[in-house]
Amino acid sequence: MSTEETQAADTARKKPVISLDRHSARYRVEFEELATEFHGKCPVAWNDTHGGYWFASGNKELFDIARRSDVLSNDNDVSGTKNGYVGISIPHQTTENRQRGGFLEMDPPEQRYYRQALNPYLSPAAVARWKPVIEELTRACIDEVIESGRVDFVDDLANIVPAVFTLAMLGLPLKAWDIYCEPVHASVYTSPDSPEYPAVRAKSNQMFMHLLGYIKEIKENPRPGLINELLTVEINGYRPDDFEVAGVVMLLIGGGFDTTTALTAHSLEWLSENPEERARLSRERETLLDSATEEFLRFYTPAVGDGRTISQDVEINGTRFKEGDRLWLSWAMANRDEKVFEDPHNVHLDRKGNRHASFGLGIHRCIGSNVARAVFKTMLTAVLDRMPDYVCTPGQAVHYDTTGVINGMKNLPATFTPGRRIGDGLNETIARMQEICDEQRLAEPVTVRATTAKL
Amino acid sequence: MKVRVDPELCQGHTLCAMNAPALFALRDEDGHAYALQEDVPAELEGEAKEAARSCPEQAVVLY
Repeated sequence: MSTEETQAADTARKKPVISLDRHSARYRVEFEELATEFHGKCPVAWNDTHGGYWFASGNKELFDIARRSDVLSNDNDVSGTKNGYVGISIPHQTTENRQRGGFLEMDPPEQRYYRQALNPYLSPAAVARWKPVIEELTRACIDEVIESGRVDFVDDLANIVPAVFTLAMLGLPLKAWDIYCEPVHASVYTSPDSPEYPAVRAKSNQMFMHLLGYIKEIKENPRPGLINELLTVEINGYRPDDFEVAGVVMLLIGGGFDTTTALTAHSLEWLSENPEERARLSRERETLLDSATEEFLRFYTPAVGDGRTISQDVEINGTRFKEGDRLWLSWAMANRDEKVFEDPHNVHLDRKGNRHASFGLGIHRCIGSNVARAVFKTMLTAVLDRMPDYVCTPGQAVHYDTTGVINGMKNLPATFTPGRRIGDGLNETIARMQEICDEQRLAEPVTVRATTAKL
Repeated sequence: MKVRVDPELCQGHTLCAMNAPALFALRDEDGHAYALQEDVPAELEGEAKEAARSCPEQAVVLY
């Protein structure tokens, strides 16, 4: 075929065409209308923005594609020695700051080795051992603000608990949480052309240097945790170097911090706007907390989607994908498909059959999903118990300007009837949790240490 | 009614054990699910159906 004929064949194949910049305000503001329109007209479409890519929004269509690891690749070939694929971000990273996103930007078998190594730290049984620690960190965050009657749920609670707990599992010093917390969040919501960007980059670099320092430290003086595992594990016949380990740690931190914060903030905002449902959830939490958590996950899908590269020509449900095509799996839109979810654009705390895709589908299912649920539920119930009448300050919630990657929030101020402190402040509590982590070797995998933390 | 979890499809979303704790357990090391017994008692058939319906990977097989 001539070039013109190839192009004509490509144009015929890449249909129906949509034009949606996921990083535009339109995507955030008109999300529900766009989802409904796409589900009706084009559940798989060719999106002609950002170099062109397939956009899967229909629940069934996404389900049929996302689990086809035989024809999809997550690989980010940063060294340019393999197929040249560019990973899971669309638009993909530019060459200057291109960095592989840990095992989420790898394919099997390497990806499988990593997950097998890390699962015993992150499984439901592994996470359950940490429950007293998560509760104590949450208690301390609330004690810091309980007497004032004022809280920013993002800054004072939902940013802190996931960050401190993630560092505990990694085997990093807990008190270093603020070195990691701010740059991780700010990197998600700060656009590269904004005036704040250089400062965010500087803090990100500081964080990365801190991490590299501790990777060396743990290598010399091993201590339990995910980093120690990464330093000792063999991945398909090789041992990852410090830089690769750092990339995996950044994946765990990036996945662990901002997403749980986003879910918690959105849920607390919704419950403030629906006080009767909040009272019901608090009253009936024994039966309602699980389904409410899954419903908030569905409705506010924190990680809105993931990119893939088609690794071989394939036809699925009539769409002809070609090797090298880019694809976006819109978890967030698939979660609003009325063919699967009745009344999809409303929150039903007792929703049944809620097979949402908020943790992804297939072999790359969010490895921290059990951490996310445990931390979210602990923070939510603590707020319901200790600030039952909180009201989010009208007009003061700050949502991310764009939600192309994470559907998150910067601030969520609220007021409530002040209460009494019941324990130490945050810094004292973090110091005490550090001692307990070290003494009881809490960050060992569940296969080594099965008992729950004792405070 | 009988139940099993397809180990090729299960990715450890844990919703079956959440919806039907009497029917499913999760492996300590990776959270992937397995059926505690093949036969579903009549009084748990509703829970079994809900577990199958809510599995994101559609890995719960009723037969």
